[in-house]
Amino acid sequence: MVAITGIGVVSPHGDDHEAMFAALMRGESAIREFTGGLPNARPAAVASAAFQASDWFTPLQLAGVDRVSQIAVAAAPKAMADAGATGLYEPARIGIYVGCGMGGGGSLEAGYSSGLRSGRVPPLTIPAFMPNAPASHIAMRLKATGPVLTYSVACASSAVALGEAAKAIRGGEVDMAVAGGSEALLVPGVVKAWQAMQTLSVFEPGQAASSCRPFAAERSGFALGEGAAFLILESTERARARGAHRYAELAGWGLSCDATHLTKPDAAGQQAAIRNALAVAGLQARDIGYCNAHGTATRIGDIVESEALNAAWGADIDRLRVSSTKSMHGHLLGAAGALEAVIAVLALQKRQLPPNAFCATPDPACRLNLVWEAGAAAPDLNAAISNSFAFGGTNAVLVFQCA
Amino acid sequence: MSSLKQLQDLIQEKYKIDPATLDPNASMLDQGIDSLALAEFLFDIEEHFGIEFPDARADVNSLAGLARLIDELKTSPAA
Repeated sequence: MVAITGIGVVSPHGDDHEAMFAALMRGESAIREFTGGLPNARPAAVASAAFQASDWFTPLQLAGVDRVSQIAVAAAPKAMADAGATGLYEPARIGIYVGCGMGGGGSLEAGYSSGLRSGRVPPLTIPAFMPNAPASHIAMRLKATGPVLTYSVACASSAVALGEAAKAIRGGEVDMAVAGGSEALLVPGVVKAWQAMQTLSVFEPGQAASSCRPFAAERSGFALGEGAAFLILESTERARARGAHRYAELAGWGLSCDATHLTKPDAAGQQAAIRNALAVAGLQARDIGYCNAHGTATRIGDIVESEALNAAWGADIDRLRVSSTKSMHGHLLGAAGALEAVIAVLALQKRQLPPNAFCATPDPACRLNLVWEAGAAAPDLNAAISNSFAFGGTNAVLVFQCA
Repeated sequence: MSSLKQLQDLIQEKYKIDPATLDPNASMLDQGIDSLALAEFLFDIEEHFGIEFPDARADVNSLAGLARLIDELKTSPAA
């Protein structure tokens, strides 16, 4: 069994995971309007993470370190400290498993812009951009010399990272895994690219905060979010032996690929990942009381996810309460699976369910028992799942169980 | 203002390093400025002075050596 013994976040709702969860329980959105300073730019809805690089780096240490690595370096040691595991394990027995979709997009954008404007590209553009930089910076900061790996699987990146880390713990490959993800893409070019794909929420001026409405009839897409989230995984035996606080168990993980279309989701593929995860956990669908949905609030995505959940749960679908917290923290892309895993774990630990916010009129095509109310208690909750479905067709599902 | 003084001001501004703590004649690499930070600093110097270091001379890594090279490049733009 794999225990979760530490949590660290740099999130749109702050860098204290307890305060973050409390804000989510109140239904508070961290989403706001963003134009990136571009003239005539159509505003986008985004959720940025408040972060002071100087709290974690000297100016000299910041050379060639993109924001995506900076926030990773903040979140991972916080998780390690939360687990009371700083300095506990031999460096070679620590693994770092990081999900990241697009690396240092800000540095790449700045480097290319400079190059196209003046012919000069800053010399650290490549090391700042490379998608495995966050994992390497964490390794240097924590002095971890075991496997240091990056999973770039679009929106499933960090859910995949958590599943692979859990396998490494179960297989005895490492004694401790620092697993999660980081993403920081709130720069004008990347935001415009997402806008061009017609995937971002549409809103009236002043209404950005409530513009991401998963499973709602009037939904129009997601808000881009940034942040980093990390969990510490250890074997349950080892965690028990050292008297560590266990938030929950990471009981199951399931992967599948639709193999049908690059961007269009597929219910059969998603259902396969759900079934695989339940099988690893040794649980039935009816044992799961809460699903932190992928729920990107796109027209097709929410319907397909609803179909997959209905297929897997069958007649028990009403026993499963569902919310997409992307309504409040936005879509963290490569870090989404990790942040939402943290939220599912805290929901399980506290037996409280964060709401599926801003869904005034549920879409009848999404037949789900949505958590429509803020502050929902779930006294009988024993297991939860978190869904992450990626462009590219890869589906990752994680199952958590009470410790 | 001498080139050395300008370099020291740049270091102070960019990295918050007191110039008095850096020996201008010693290698910056030996004084805690790693190779990546140095690469970034050389790029910023080029921007600041409007010059371009020839590849063969990019190994100059003490502040005093850099200042001499900058003065040389400024007086002979063709170099």
